[in-house]
Amino acid sequence: MQTRIEAADQRFGWMLSAPGLMLLGAVIGFPIAWALFTSLFDYTLIMPSYDNFVGLDNYVTALGDKEFGHAAWVTLTFVAAIVVVEFSIGFLVALMLNSTERGRGIYYIILLCPLLMNPVVVGLIWRMLLHPTLGIVNYLLGLVGLGPVNWLGDPTNAFITVVLVDVWHQVSFMIVLLLAGLSALPREPYEAARVEGASTLQSFWHITLPLMRPVIVVTLLIRVIFAIKTYDIIYIMTRGGPGDATDLISYFIYRRAFVGLNLGEACALAGLLLAVIVAMTAYLHRVMRKV
Amino acid sequence: MRIKPATLLRHGILIAFSAAILLPLLWVLRVSLTDKLTAYKIPPEIGHLSFDNFIEVFTRFDFSLWFANSFGIALATTAISLPAATMMAYAAARYRTGGAPLLVTVLASQMLPPIVLVLPLFLLVTTMVPIGGRAAITLAHVAVNLPFMAWMMVSFFEGETKQLEEAARAEGATRWQAFRLITVPVAMPGILAAGLLGFILSWNEFLYALILSTSKSQTLSVGLASMETQAGVNIAPLAAATLLGLAPVLILLPFLQKYLIKGLSLGALK
Repeated sequence: MQTRIEAADQRFGWMLSAPGLMLLGAVIGFPIAWALFTSLFDYTLIMPSYDNFVGLDNYVTALGDKEFGHAAWVTLTFVAAIVVVEFSIGFLVALMLNSTERGRGIYYIILLCPLLMNPVVVGLIWRMLLHPTLGIVNYLLGLVGLGPVNWLGDPTNAFITVVLVDVWHQVSFMIVLLLAGLSALPREPYEAARVEGASTLQSFWHITLPLMRPVIVVTLLIRVIFAIKTYDIIYIMTRGGPGDATDLISYFIYRRAFVGLNLGEACALAGLLLAVIVAMTAYLHRVMRKV
Repeated sequence: MRIKPATLLRHGILIAFSAAILLPLLWVLRVSLTDKLTAYKIPPEIGHLSFDNFIEVFTRFDFSLWFANSFGIALATTAISLPAATMMAYAAARYRTGGAPLLVTVLASQMLPPIVLVLPLFLLVTTMVPIGGRAAITLAHVAVNLPFMAWMMVSFFEGETKQLEEAARAEGATRWQAFRLITVPVAMPGILAAGLLGFILSWNEFLYALILSTSKSQTLSVGLASMETQAGVNIAPLAAATLLGLAPVLILLPFLQKYLIKGLSLGALK
């Protein structure tokens, strides 16, 4: 009897899931399978045909490609830079907000503004503000005797600029999540610590950080995965340049496919990127279940 | 009344941070409301208020077409994704349908870099299924929205309405009736929030729209990106256009505040 109800439950569950699963299969499963299939052929947009099966050659070429190595390195430094900066600023602001009553709602709504903004718009706005001769930022720097800075024209500057603009756009993500974690912390350990005479710094180090660890890990993991995908801001602000200073992996694959027209190799690169993201997501899921 | 130095420092940092966010946006607003000549002047001058830039956006650029495309695509994407995602999330939460493998698949789909999917989708519409730009972009956005919404909603359905459903079932309601008449109405605010966030995801999306659109199906993101090249550094109308593009999202923001944490943390935090 019990099993019959369970079987009916199962059937009902699958029936409810069916439309979603079919859609996912159609718009994600099938295209990915096709991309992996294409990665096994010498398929270019000049000669779009599946006549030339090359096995894993595209992967071998990709992995030996110096430009790919460079793009991977740029992506790694970019992700490390934005995550470190966003986490530091984010944690500081979250701590400040957590111990503030007055004006908290206003601060909060302000910091939410960039979060849902279109990355294209963010890129365009900052291009405008950072324009070397017409931009307001260089003018203001000039007033205090600095600059003018060529924000996007020089390789090192461009990399730093892109990092800073991304920080402006995304730092609130860290604040919102860390603040949610902070406000859910229990009060008792802090009171006990105060009775024992612990300083603010000590209770931060010995109570806040250990208790916040799971939230911090999940927040950082999600941010890292999203940061690896960064594309829009690069397209708008630098097109991977100057030279290849901001050639993040997504933009590099885009160039291989639609400028280099080598779709076979681009698909192989996409396959490699996919493997990295899936591995990180599986790890994220394991961590999330423990939060 | 004395203010403690620690409080002062705290507000100092928070005000500096808020200013860093607000001032650039206010400057864009200021540029959008001046006439063209003033917009270019360095050092800045206080010109007179003018709405010419907002008018120019509609007359010299295809802004209304971009806006309508983005709106239509986002609406269609949400209409397709939301019911499917709701049912899938409910099944996963209540009946454990698919178990952990399905959940990881959904999460991984959500994390999928657009560049991975855009290559085969481009091949698909150019070689096999020649559908129009708007339809192609909508399908691509379903690939973004469906996993996002489903993952966000799984936690809505865990526990909350279980007892109500069981009571309804004891009264003779079918599983479908319990879901349709009890669970969905109770969870409706959350479902709507998931829908709105999905709408915004589609509204803001760029890469799929860039690759899959034709000149007729350009979305707002693609249109705005093309404005700069079309018009040189024509910052005054560009400022107006970016603000118009932001408006719908900023208007929705207060309504979404409550659900934002769940959406952003992928359900890990409440």
